[in-house]
Amino acid sequence: MNLAIAMARLLLFPGLLFAVPAAWFFLWVERKSVALMQQRIGPPFPQPMFDFVKLLGKSTPPRRGIDGFLMRMWPLISVSASATAAGLLPVLPARGGFEGDLIFLIALLEIPAICIIAAGFSSRSMFGEIGSAREAVLTVAYNVVFLLAILSIAASQHTFRLEALAQLPVTPLRYIGLLAILICLPAKLHINPFSLPNAEQEIYSGPMTEYAGAELAMWQLSHGMEWVASCGLVATLAIPQFSHWAVNVLAFGVLSLVLVLLLSVLAAATARLAIDTTVRFYWKCTLVFACLILIAFVSSSFMQEVRS
Amino acid sequence: MNIFAMLAKNLRLGIQTIRFPARPPVTAAFRGLVRFDPALCSGCAMCRFRCTARAITFTAGKSTFTWSYDPGQCTFCGRCVEGCKDHALSQDSACPPVYLTIGTLKKAYTLQRKPPAEKAAAPPDPSHVSPPGAS
Repeated sequence: MNLAIAMARLLLFPGLLFAVPAAWFFLWVERKSVALMQQRIGPPFPQPMFDFVKLLGKSTPPRRGIDGFLMRMWPLISVSASATAAGLLPVLPARGGFEGDLIFLIALLEIPAICIIAAGFSSRSMFGEIGSAREAVLTVAYNVVFLLAILSIAASQHTFRLEALAQLPVTPLRYIGLLAILICLPAKLHINPFSLPNAEQEIYSGPMTEYAGAELAMWQLSHGMEWVASCGLVATLAIPQFSHWAVNVLAFGVLSLVLVLLLSVLAAATARLAIDTTVRFYWKCTLVFACLILIAFVSSSFMQEVRS
Repeated sequence: MNIFAMLAKNLRLGIQTIRFPARPPVTAAFRGLVRFDPALCSGCAMCRFRCTARAITFTAGKSTFTWSYDPGQCTFCGRCVEGCKDHALSQDSACPPVYLTIGTLKKAYTLQRKPPAEKAAAPPDPSHVSPPGAS
């Protein structure tokens, strides 16, 4: 991948120029669809953008010392990681990528969670610390399933290159992996029933309690771009690559939107689970998916041997 | 699975939010604005005493009194209406109107004090009959 293509992917499509409006759009779709399911009007279309601009114009409380510096840095690191993760998605085939970019993407998708944990502890707020502790436990719980799914997809098709994975035909093992990723997405995006770190009725906004102004705007943008990158990852791995680039882009957009709607239905239909129930759920998922993946591996190897 | 049926029903029924200036329908027992009938008020100030929100104020003079009511402070609890022995207070069965400036709906009445009602003559006590000849 040359520098021009890398910069175009990071800054234009599916990077910043696409990911920022898409993040606002997905946030609006989530809020609006939940509102409609609750018989409310919901926000107007440009509301997430208005919120962002309004927050940018607000002043932030002065914070001194290393804590203040870190509190300013965490949202910026989180936005950068989310935007880079979105830029790595192989929406357009034969447009770049490198060996191991899947591992890099997974690492980038983890950075916002780490930043949220660190931000809550940096804020020295009681609610922030509780939220961060919850986020840490949640991250450990769902990541076992998430990494298991990603590793099984990569190992079954013998590549850690996203573009190669996107171009290979979809196997049953990949469907199992995608299902596991889908189960992890509500926890990754902090929506019901796994909205533990930002449980408004219990701990205000958790790690975000002490944030305001431009810093909060960056957190919201980062959250929106996490939606884009996470749903986009599932979309690029689930849909086959088409010959025309426009069809690829359209399929990517439509499937991402469908995923956002599905997650919104789940958020509207469920209540928040307790942390111990959540951890127990993901550990059970790990066991189930480990068994499924093992069975799929063994059966595929057996079939290959029979054929040869 | 009931919750999904409920969500589908909600989607089918559509938005229930009422847009301003439309108001939600109310029942006959709805407690709205307090209405004051100056002709019936005797100026006992029981309503001021019972008003925990301090929406009703009462200024007493020698021959007049001023009764005022600020709906902006009122919680529409109805305790004033309940305690008014003269039935000078009542409540609307409609949503209170929307106002944009503080004190827009405030009303004050300055009324003449009514002369105290003459006490009815007590009936003579039969046990205390004056002896004949006593003046």
